[in-house]
Amino acid sequence: MKTLLVLFSALSILWSTLSMAAPVWFGDLKATRTLRINSSLDLASFAPLLERFVALHPDVRVSYLDVNTLELYQKTIQEKDHPSASLVISSAMDLQLKLVNDGYVQTYRSQATEQLPSDAKWRSQVFAFSLEPVVMLVNKDQFPGKLPEDRQDLLRAIRQYEKQMTGRIGTYDIRKSGVGYLLASQDARQADATWGRLIEAFGSHKLQTYCCTHQIIDDVASGKLVVGYNLLGSYASQRARVDSRLEMILPKDYTLMIRRVALIPKKAANVEDAGLFLDFLLSDEVQGMMQTKALLFPIRPDVTPVITPYVVEATGPKRAIELDQQLLVGRDYAKQRRFIKSWEVALEINDK
Amino acid sequence: MWLKSLQHPRATEGSLDEEREALKRAPSLRFRLIGIGCLVISIIAALSINFVFDYSRRLADLSYDRLLRSALLQMDENVGLINDEVSIDIPWSAFATLAQANEDKVFYKVESSAQGFITGYKDLDMTPPQKTTYDKIQFFNREYSGEMVRFAFLERHLTEPDATGTVRIILGQTRLSREELASAVTQRAVDIVLMIALVAIALIVIGSHLVLRPLQRIERVLEERSPGDLTPLDIKTPKETHHLKVAINHFMSRLQDNLEQLEHYTADAAHQLRTPLAGLRALAENARDQTSPERQYQALEDIVNQCDALSQTVTLLLNQAVVSHRMQTRYREPIDLLLPIAASCREQAVTALHQGVHLSLDTELEHAMVLGDAFALQQMMQNLIENAVRYSNQGEQQAAEVVVTIAEFAAYYQVQVIDHGEGIPEAEKERVFERFYRGRYDIAGSGVGLAMVKDIVDHHSARIRILNTQPKGTTFQIDIAKFQMGVTE
Repeated sequence: MKTLLVLFSALSILWSTLSMAAPVWFGDLKATRTLRINSSLDLASFAPLLERFVALHPDVRVSYLDVNTLELYQKTIQEKDHPSASLVISSAMDLQLKLVNDGYVQTYRSQATEQLPSDAKWRSQVFAFSLEPVVMLVNKDQFPGKLPEDRQDLLRAIRQYEKQMTGRIGTYDIRKSGVGYLLASQDARQADATWGRLIEAFGSHKLQTYCCTHQIIDDVASGKLVVGYNLLGSYASQRARVDSRLEMILPKDYTLMIRRVALIPKKAANVEDAGLFLDFLLSDEVQGMMQTKALLFPIRPDVTPVITPYVVEATGPKRAIELDQQLLVGRDYAKQRRFIKSWEVALEINDK
Repeated sequence: MWLKSLQHPRATEGSLDEEREALKRAPSLRFRLIGIGCLVISIIAALSINFVFDYSRRLADLSYDRLLRSALLQMDENVGLINDEVSIDIPWSAFATLAQANEDKVFYKVESSAQGFITGYKDLDMTPPQKTTYDKIQFFNREYSGEMVRFAFLERHLTEPDATGTVRIILGQTRLSREELASAVTQRAVDIVLMIALVAIALIVIGSHLVLRPLQRIERVLEERSPGDLTPLDIKTPKETHHLKVAINHFMSRLQDNLEQLEHYTADAAHQLRTPLAGLRALAENARDQTSPERQYQALEDIVNQCDALSQTVTLLLNQAVVSHRMQTRYREPIDLLLPIAASCREQAVTALHQGVHLSLDTELEHAMVLGDAFALQQMMQNLIENAVRYSNQGEQQAAEVVVTIAEFAAYYQVQVIDHGEGIPEAEKERVFERFYRGRYDIAGSGVGLAMVKDIVDHHSARIRILNTQPKGTTFQIDIAKFQMGVTE
């Protein structure tokens, strides 16, 4: 069992390093149409959906390029005149919304998008297809004392077990990860004082920063880290289910909820298939598949009557990040600079 | 008679066709009413829709500008010195306010006079359309990134102790929600306006039908009448057509009167002519049967006289017909009263003299202008003088003089025809003006002369009185108003 897990994680590392460089292809080589997707989603969660898609549409070949959220944003702007992808999928809602606000996105309307609730889309240009909690992932074997239920518990544990915790807390580098910045800025918005204390505690205990979720999860699993903070629920839950060392915690004080959103760049080629794929993502079948195959938390959990772990059941209040103009505030030039600066100061990062 | 009745249906057919043609050409009151009504309503509807378009847009701007203003003020509140430089910490609530305009993009820019660009969209044009007034928010529409954007602009002096100069904030949102609200309001208003217009047009159509229905009813009732029926219309009509009904009834009663008059006149004329004709026949028979040439000559002389009398009667009847026609046409003009009076005196003088009566006109006036019909007045005088002469001639003692006088008073002229005959008994004075009344049947006369006089006097709004001449005889006295320039009727 363990060897299989190690093999799995090794494979996934290999997969993701490969996918950073070159796209992964799905579907028949002889297919007449090509749909290119740039996405920040881990392929492990997405591959079954892509395979299902090419099975349904054998004349479409899909290329899937895994890109970090921040790079994805920059890439989309750079390629504004000749977008390489027809569909851009990211969990960095704020960057996606800013792309819409700044006019890099085209409108798409279909029966499926019209059925979406209004808080799951904006201007019919950006569409949410999943809603998942932002969680803490703990290594049960390594965590000293009682497992934390909320951020206050985490703070207490850090103070109480300084030795065991130092250098063993991991979260995103908000300078490198778009979604990491979004989650941090939302934390600061939701509970400024808690956030201040938390970042201060992180700073004085050698916080480890990462670009990508799966690396944090890997390090938590291997015991290099005790706790990973602000991780995307779908990845954490996937791993926690097959790895008994891992425990996923939805903070009781408040649980942030994040939507993964897709958009079609303005001058994208093959808009038809991009729309087709979007409709496919929102279809009852795929929404149900996300749940039953434990891939993602669907935006419409009501389509499957089966109770699965992929329905968010937080014990505390849920704070869904709104998909609207408010996201622009977090990405305000002056605010962003100050926020990153104060983050760097708190973490005692002087350079870079 | 049978010929006439044969022609009758043909003529009716032809006139029916003509009527149909005329009906086709005639403008329809109803369609004209409906047409004008529709036109007016369309114009009003168009104006109000135009107004609503404008108004709903202003209304939408008014409500959404409040959001924009609120967001701008929240931003402005958070401008200050942060880490020794002027900066802004945009509050989340500011954009939560803007998020009430669901799908509208947001653009903004903040800059200070000292530092230049602080945050926001660098390429946003910050120059406001009007001259800047510090601390006063300006709203305007301007295109940005391919869309029409509503901007709010504010410039103010920095109040922090270490800061100098001004800070400028511009905040804009696209117009989607505004247009949506405006078109929702407009749609509703347009629906209402169109509905009202349709109802109004329907009311006009129904109303025009209702208004014209009494006319059609009157028309039908008249249409269905038998040819000789001139009795008043007896149908219930609304107030608006009441006068029409009354006018028709008056007209019909006048027509009835005229017809009756004509009937009487015809009967009288026949009667008038039959008596002298019978006399003529008797005289002619007498002449035929006479053997002595002298007697025969005498009989023929009588026939000639009788013919003169007959001719006179016919003339009188004709004149009366002309006068009554003229009076129906109500023709009057300024004339000199002396002329018809003098003319009739001249005409009668010789005839009177034949009967041994001396006729004289006695006046000192040179002119006597009145408003009237010269022919009718002359007929009137002729009748009066004839009458006077005729009655002078009767009785044991023959009166030898008839005098006509004209005198001037302040407002009228007084004409008198004075004879010295037997006079008229008081009881009969009232009745002499009645048509076909004849005081004495032994004296020749039509019985219509004085009735005609009365008609002519009435027609001229004058007054006639019968006085006694002293010691005996009758005076007819007529007062007729002077003609004054400027006063016509």
